[in-house]
Amino acid sequence: MRLVDLLRLILENLSRHKGRVLLTAIGVIIGTAAVVVLVSLGIGLQKSATENLWGISDLTRIEVNPVWEDMYAVEAGGKGDTGSSSQQKKLTPAALEEIAALPGVASVIPLDYLMGWGQLTYGKMEYWANFVGVDPEKLPYLELEAAVGDVDLQKGTVIIGSQVPMNYYDPNYRPGQEVAEPPDLMGQQLKLVMTKYTSDGEEIKKTLQLRVVGILEETQGESDWSMYVTMSQLDEWNTWFNGGKRINRNKDGYQRVIVKAESVEYVTDLTNAINEMGFQAFSPQSMVEGVNSYFMVLQIVFGGIGAIALLVAAIGIANTMTMAILERTHEIGLMKAIGATNNDVLRIFLGEAAGIGFIGGLGGAFFGWLFSKAFNVVATSILASQMQQGGGFGGGLSTSTPPWLLLFALLFATFIGVASGFFPAVNATRLEPVKALKYE
Amino acid sequence: MSAEIEVRSLEKIFKMGDQVVRALDGVDLIIPAHSFTVIMGPSGSGKSTLLYLVGGLDKPTKGEVLVNGKPVDFTNDINLALYRRKTVGFIFQSFNLVSTMTALENVSFPMWFAGTSRAKRRQRATSLLEQVGLANRAKHKPTELSGGQQQRVAFARAMVNDPPLILADEPTGNLDTTSGQRIMRMLHEYYQQGKTVVVVSHDERMKQFATHVIYLLDGKIVTEQEFQNASSFALLDDEMEEGEQP
Repeated sequence: MRLVDLLRLILENLSRHKGRVLLTAIGVIIGTAAVVVLVSLGIGLQKSATENLWGISDLTRIEVNPVWEDMYAVEAGGKGDTGSSSQQKKLTPAALEEIAALPGVASVIPLDYLMGWGQLTYGKMEYWANFVGVDPEKLPYLELEAAVGDVDLQKGTVIIGSQVPMNYYDPNYRPGQEVAEPPDLMGQQLKLVMTKYTSDGEEIKKTLQLRVVGILEETQGESDWSMYVTMSQLDEWNTWFNGGKRINRNKDGYQRVIVKAESVEYVTDLTNAINEMGFQAFSPQSMVEGVNSYFMVLQIVFGGIGAIALLVAAIGIANTMTMAILERTHEIGLMKAIGATNNDVLRIFLGEAAGIGFIGGLGGAFFGWLFSKAFNVVATSILASQMQQGGGFGGGLSTSTPPWLLLFALLFATFIGVASGFFPAVNATRLEPVKALKYE
Repeated sequence: MSAEIEVRSLEKIFKMGDQVVRALDGVDLIIPAHSFTVIMGPSGSGKSTLLYLVGGLDKPTKGEVLVNGKPVDFTNDINLALYRRKTVGFIFQSFNLVSTMTALENVSFPMWFAGTSRAKRRQRATSLLEQVGLANRAKHKPTELSGGQQQRVAFARAMVNDPPLILADEPTGNLDTTSGQRIMRMLHEYYQQGKTVVVVSHDERMKQFATHVIYLLDGKIVTEQEFQNASSFALLDDEMEEGEQP
């Protein structure tokens, strides 16, 4: 039997009892829609959770720190090793080259921090700065974007995080006074006062001027609170703190390194490889994977709840097909008498069951998508009203319905149809033609 | 092409509760190619059982059926389906038309399973409906046709794959006299085309067409007769022309 004829026959047979087919399909529609809505909710929660966790969604980033001496000693001590600072592996340029040679590494960005106190003042306001030194050539790999100004770093300039101005405070503020507005620092000259103490306890200060050339977009990450200067600038300051002794990177290494992977797929392997090299590597990806596996379970549970509705629908299809076969026993006998093979009969009835599943799946995918959208509208308005009242849940309670979910729902419902119709269809093929023809 | 049927020691035993019913009890029979055989006998004598076994609609308890010397393979469902599709055309007492299909679709239905293209199916079914005088009823559904017309559609359906063997089970049983005669004449015409026709009937008039008549009783052949019957066809044709209604 040709496929086109088979499809035509299936459609004609389904259209014989439109009401019954529709009622059966409604069961599938409800089940499929339940699966789509609940899995969409699971995906939405997962998306919201990972975005809230990392804001930036930069999952290709791996943070690498040297293993601190005391930690190394404890760990090595357990193995019977004495452990010492000389054995501590530093993030030296050679080590960085070693990391850069690992497969999947897009870039290695060394960072360094101020080794002493640095207080910034602007007008009457002050701020204890968290300076990060970075090579201007490597800066683009950090994917920092300027909300105001640009990210072109030079000596004597600084790029500041979005939250830095909010943290300027008036040291002479007294309770009852009006709180000063955060200063607009863009393009402003900031006074940096660095303080160190000699072995005699004598305080030595050094004052510098820094011009703000850019304020970064909010990332909900470390950069929001950081002030970026060139690595050479930071080296100069640290040399001053170090009593004029220059920082030797080959000996002291960098305090921290950011490794950017070419894509998320490399991150786990790279993290493991860097850890094996003797450093402490951490990636948001590893936490996201944990979160993902949690939400995967949640989605399976949600999908399972929806699947119960589909199971009920499957029983409905099986019932409808059993009834159809009972009613059409005579016809099955006739089909066999005029030359239909058992396979032809099987394909016809399986096709009809699949057709009911497909119709239900199509409706279920559509209504599931529609309900998910409606859920988002309702959830957004409820959250907005709660936020207005000054409380409520700030997280994103929303659904996300990817196209693959709709396609999966459609195919799954069709499969449910085939599975439910299987035994009735097999029973149809087993009918002896002569008995079927005599059936009343 | 015609089909010679040979039945060897054919048995069919049914179990009805504790009772064992021998519907056919060791039947040996040869139905020659290009013959018109009428099987007669009282109810329960095994006529229809014999017909269904010859047609491959039922499986024998024992014995075999040979068509042109080749045994019908009752063990393989595909071979059996192909045998029914290519070699046999069935006509039933209750027509067995698909109620949701038009006359044209019913006639062409066996060709669906043969994988024939839609255009060829349509062409062949239209030609057969013309042949049985129902060209103007092609788009009618069975409920819109009289009993005689339905049986003519069923006859066209039986011929659609041009089988060498037509098996008819009480084809006139549900028809009025005139319609019954018309069906008889059609079967005879098919026989005249060189085919083999086997009819199970209670209708004594059917004997007028027969080249062979077989009487069954309690699952056994009790009499076999062979006829030369050209004159009786002419007589019946005259009756048809006078009494037939459109």
